[in-house]
Amino acid sequence: MNIFLRELKANFKSLIIWSVIVILLIFMAVTKFSAFASDPETAKMLDSMPQPLLKALNMHAFNLTTVEGFYGIMFIYFALMAAIAAAMWGSDMISKEERDKTVEFSLVLPVSRSRVITAKALAALVNCVAFVLITWGVSLVAVQSYNPGKTFYDFLTLEMLSMFLLELIFLALGLLLGCAMKQYKLAGSTAVGIILVTYFMSIISSMQENLDFLKYFTPFKYYDAGELFRKNSLDGGFLLLTAVIILVCLAGSYWIYNKRDLYI
Amino acid sequence: MSIIEISNLTKYYGKSRGIIDVSLNVEEGEIFGFIGPNGAGKSTTIRLLLSLIHPTSGSARVFGKDVTAHGPEIRKDIGYLPSEVYYYEGMKVIDLLKYSASFYDCDCTQRMKELSEIMELEMNRRISDLSYGNKKKVGIVQGLLHSPRLLFLDEPTAGLDPLMQHKFFDLIRLENKRGVTVFFSSHILGEVQRLCNRVGIIREGKIAEISDIRTLQKNNYKKVRVTAEGLDAAAFDLPGISNLTVDDGTLHFFFKGDINAVLQKISGIQVTDVTIEEPTLEEIFMHYYE
Repeated sequence: MNIFLRELKANFKSLIIWSVIVILLIFMAVTKFSAFASDPETAKMLDSMPQPLLKALNMHAFNLTTVEGFYGIMFIYFALMAAIAAAMWGSDMISKEERDKTVEFSLVLPVSRSRVITAKALAALVNCVAFVLITWGVSLVAVQSYNPGKTFYDFLTLEMLSMFLLELIFLALGLLLGCAMKQYKLAGSTAVGIILVTYFMSIISSMQENLDFLKYFTPFKYYDAGELFRKNSLDGGFLLLTAVIILVCLAGSYWIYNKRDLYI
Repeated sequence: MSIIEISNLTKYYGKSRGIIDVSLNVEEGEIFGFIGPNGAGKSTTIRLLLSLIHPTSGSARVFGKDVTAHGPEIRKDIGYLPSEVYYYEGMKVIDLLKYSASFYDCDCTQRMKELSEIMELEMNRRISDLSYGNKKKVGIVQGLLHSPRLLFLDEPTAGLDPLMQHKFFDLIRLENKRGVTVFFSSHILGEVQRLCNRVGIIREGKIAEISDIRTLQKNNYKKVRVTAEGLDAAAFDLPGISNLTVDDGTLHFFFKGDINAVLQKISGIQVTDVTIEEPTLEEIFMHYYE
């Protein structure tokens, strides 16, 4: 409990910073949206844009002049931010002890390494939950003036759930990198690198039919806003894949961190 | 029962050597000195005993329990003062000490107060604002506040001013009187000589000698100095003599063996001055390193 609380306190500032960024993003986006809300001209203009571009930006799936369509476009930005924040929290909580050389204090205390990982993972999880709830809450407030209907609320719930699941994937990946990497200083940037690579993979796989198989390698495709909107539900197979990735990363984290030498 | 039993402990970091085939025992209630130059493997040995790193081969037991299998349990009764102390920079001293105390099944508040008064620690400052010496003081209080049964001190006096060093040694002696076993690693022989009952000498990862500190000084070597006119160094070419030097009519050498052989030689010549004394640990130590 003491490790958990200390980590929460130590990472509170980071949560605040990420939250401020997402709040600014939401309000800036909603202000922009006011320009083309229910405007048929915008819809026409968008239709005239080249198909591959629309596909890349996932715009073909949505009607941008409705608030739910607009939030469909916005999803990838939330998802990217959430993924990066979660991966940084996961990797940093573990690797910073070695970077700041505090392992010689914190792991000489009578605690097992597993207990340390569990406490830190839970603290990161709390941050992730808080980040989703803040994004969700602020979104609800920000779009009030457009009187959104049931479609929007259902879709937003689905998006936020997806955002949370993406956070879990990248949190687990971040933990694994923090636990496993000998170059502990690079754990955070490696995690962000993986996120960007998988993000571009998701773009490529939606533009090129023959690269469709890539969708299994990029979590951003498991929770594709267009698909979510069309089906109005999460895909069972991808949910299973998500669970597998998280479990494998967690098991790897505990196994490696218990087995390896701490770098002092 | 020995508090620490190390048998054939070996640690390689990849290909580079940590320690090789180290075996030693530390008995309950003793202050064991662990001497060696930088890079000899002192810290590696301590980190293995704290299970911060894992052995390549061999094993070690503390309180009769294997260090790899029972790390957390063993560490309940261990206090550790590393050679360089690092704590969470943003925390205040008092918060850090309370955080540390919260991991042990004891009410350590009283002890924490006592210790920080002895070490003249300012409790309300931030760790990041502290000097090296002050961080070390935090380390001392943090390492002792839960009244551990076994203390690991890794070059503990670096950064402390002489007055604080004195206080620190008194503190360690007091702890030792209460029955605390101390594993004291250092490259400063004077402080080991002042404090320890037994010493182990480690060199390039291997144990060179383990012995009672008095035996090391008494039984091994005598430092002899002979001043005489017309001195012939060759006459002193006895078995057991080492480091023979002539300097301005004075002969210096170390001797190991039956001292009568030297006395007979000396009685055969007209000397102006003779001293035979125990060498300092420093001098013995240099001998192991040549």
